[in-house]
Amino acid sequence: MTEVGLRTEEFQVNMGPHHPSTHGVCRLLLTMDGEKVVKVEPYIGYLHRSIEKICENRTYHQCIPILDPFEYVTALSCNYVFALSAERLAQIEVPERAEFLRVIMLELNRIASHLIFFGTTAMDIGALTPFLYGLREREMIMDLFEMTCGQRLTYNYIRIGGVSKDILPAFVPKCRETINIIKDKVDEYEALLNGNPIWKARTIGIGPLSGEKAIAFGASGPILRASGVKYDLRRDDPYSIYDRFEFDIPTRQNGDVFDRYVLRLEEIRQSIRIIGQALDGIPEGDFKAKVSLKFKPPAGEAYTRIENSRGEMGVYLISDGTEKPVRVKTRGGSYNHLQLIPEIATDCLIADLVAIFASFDIIMPEVDR
Amino acid sequence: MTKDELKAYIESNFSGKLTALDTGRYDLLFETKKGDLVELARALRDDESLKFDYLCNIGAIDTRERFEIVYSIASTVNLLRLDFKIAFSYDDAEVESVQTVWPAANWYEREIWELYGIDIKNHDDLKRFLLPDDWNQGHPMRKDWDAPDFVRFPEFEV
Amino acid sequence: MTLALMQPVELSPTFLWIQHLIEAIGIGGMWSIVITYAILAVVTFGVLALLALFLVWWERKFAGHIQQRFGPMMTGWHGWYQTIMDAVKLLQKEDILVVTRDRMVFFWAPIIAFVAAFAAYIVIPFGNGIIVADLNIGILYIIAITTFTIISLLMAGWGSNNKYALLGGMRSAAQVVSYEVPMVASILTVVLFAGSLSMVDIVDSQSGWFYNWNIFRLPFGPIAFITYIIAATAEANRTPFDIPEAEQELVAGFNIEYSGMQFAMFFLAEFVNMFTVSAIATTLFLGGWTGVLLPSWMWFLGKTFAVVALLMLFRWTFPRLRVDQLMEFSWKYLVPITFANLILAGWMKYAGWYW
Repeated sequence: MTEVGLRTEEFQVNMGPHHPSTHGVCRLLLTMDGEKVVKVEPYIGYLHRSIEKICENRTYHQCIPILDPFEYVTALSCNYVFALSAERLAQIEVPERAEFLRVIMLELNRIASHLIFFGTTAMDIGALTPFLYGLREREMIMDLFEMTCGQRLTYNYIRIGGVSKDILPAFVPKCRETINIIKDKVDEYEALLNGNPIWKARTIGIGPLSGEKAIAFGASGPILRASGVKYDLRRDDPYSIYDRFEFDIPTRQNGDVFDRYVLRLEEIRQSIRIIGQALDGIPEGDFKAKVSLKFKPPAGEAYTRIENSRGEMGVYLISDGTEKPVRVKTRGGSYNHLQLIPEIATDCLIADLVAIFASFDIIMPEVDR
Repeated sequence: MTKDELKAYIESNFSGKLTALDTGRYDLLFETKKGDLVELARALRDDESLKFDYLCNIGAIDTRERFEIVYSIASTVNLLRLDFKIAFSYDDAEVESVQTVWPAANWYEREIWELYGIDIKNHDDLKRFLLPDDWNQGHPMRKDWDAPDFVRFPEFEV
Repeated sequence: MTLALMQPVELSPTFLWIQHLIEAIGIGGMWSIVITYAILAVVTFGVLALLALFLVWWERKFAGHIQQRFGPMMTGWHGWYQTIMDAVKLLQKEDILVVTRDRMVFFWAPIIAFVAAFAAYIVIPFGNGIIVADLNIGILYIIAITTFTIISLLMAGWGSNNKYALLGGMRSAAQVVSYEVPMVASILTVVLFAGSLSMVDIVDSQSGWFYNWNIFRLPFGPIAFITYIIAATAEANRTPFDIPEAEQELVAGFNIEYSGMQFAMFFLAEFVNMFTVSAIATTLFLGGWTGVLLPSWMWFLGKTFAVVALLMLFRWTFPRLRVDQLMEFSWKYLVPITFANLILAGWMKYAGWYW
């Protein structure tokens, strides 16, 4: 792109912490040669709230609302992974009804998160309307959550031993209605964007990621599956009652932006299947096991990991028999994905960098904790 | 392989390097010496029946007597999971980087260096990470860390 | 020859009464003509300013309804004076001036954008005889004036002393220049058939029933119309070609550092530009002000608003093209198509195969 005899220089542009398309506060220092991005260097830490240090000073029950904003888009997963850790340490048996409720809420949260992904990715690539469509459906899911636990974003609903409140009788029919509407809407979204030549030109072939590189960098979730690796923790490292439900694990081969986008829409459909099956079979019973308020699990350690909508979310929990944990090491999927961005986004235009960043669905609180 | 088979396999093949601990409450937990770290990691990754190609997590722990670093690894091919940890005293706080084995370890080790003060050798990019650029108040995640405005939550009776 | 060029343009018959009025007051000769034109220009400016305000409101309602929401609702019935409120707000905002800006360039950029946007309306026929000055080079004058916006975009990008603004300015200059070529070629197709550059003559060549409109002159009419609309969307910096102001990538591009009234000037100039290209599309392809029953200006406004609605629909439906894809589209696809179309049209006119 340079003429012989014309001296050009690379210059640095700061896609600063405040930017409409870095999802959250992330500073990317771009070294650019004209329109091409030569090097990307992420600077993080703008959202560091020292969650792990705080958790060392709280009892186990108090840690759950602290971990809610660990990844606020799917806050229920954060509650759940910690509760599951504590239950594994203390060998607590969770009642059936609580497990079903947990699965329904987790899958609803996954759908809500993927709808946000759809909206923000479409907006970053320039189609301004699907953002509103995605959020309109998410409002229906938030109504369901508000009906159950009173909160719309950071739920504090899944507790050690079960869930905090039982569902209302009106929940089941409303949930069914919601997922039926969303199932039709996902078809509509695909019809709106998938065949559009501009969309295909902006997303197909952009930012390809091979399966080996994804595994080597610890990528997980939809990014790993879009690169051809069929690895889903709900099936391959099963937890809760996921082995009772029938659902597919979609994978795609190329690992470019288009594949990740289509894969997440496909995952919404699979989540709808799981919720439908779960709603049919909710048993009666307790919604929470009896766990004392002074919860003291026996000394031990465990690493618990679940399949979040962003990948693998894990907690390494160490207890020493007292009522406060010794170490709560949290692990979020976006942490590894942000490491991948400098590897993939070399030699691309700024518009492609924005598309790649959006398709990775990185949420900064998971990175900074 | 199941957990018992995995434990038997490890005990037969890696008996010199990995010793089993009994504090793991769900997955297998082993301990190894600091000096064997990178070789062991590479062996675990390349072993034919194990193929631990996926690094889940690296966490550093400050028990009040010593430092520990725990590595959680998984195999996407054989669907296995195990953790192993290394332990060292406060004076001996440096460890080799496993970045060459699993590139995912890069940022995890940077964070350990920054928040705990454990030196990572052979790391290519040890810089300020989560804390502000002009941070000079020590390593916050250590248990004996204190700062003028760090307020401990008061104990309470339930 | 110089004297011939200095002849004043004939005043349109509908406005002769203004000139007579002025002569009746006592000012005669050259001055009455000059003052008439000045009054007409001011009135045009006023009408356009109102139209721009209306367009801003309409875009927000349109966007809202496409996105399943209402748009402005609080200020008046369905928010009709929202734009006035926004203009008042922008007027009383502080003009934040970057210290390291290039003062001259920074100051004149919005003014040039504004003037270039409005100056094109002198030759646009709003109705039968309702035209400020029927220049015999009408459409050429419009093309020349709308090219001024490139200069203002580049000036804004340079004068802000900001990398993002500079990137935005360069991109927009490249884009507008690339899309001038197919736009002019599409316009030339129509001019070829009308046989004249004057806007009134072009509209007259489409008089009669509506199948006389240029868009229906198969086979080159629809092709020219489609390529013109695509090129016009790019000229007006609207999605899918709104790279210069792509919010998600460059945080508003070339007008990052402008605030207050200067920003309002760029903003209004963009909407006036959109109306200009729609008005040209109406005049050249859709028959201008011809139509039955209703007054001619109503037809003109109706058709222009239809084209504006089409442009707005594009903005809220399509994603944005990347810069190199945009250039590729223009040079590799639009330019060959428009030139082939032009040759076809010329040959058909020469052979007499048209109606």
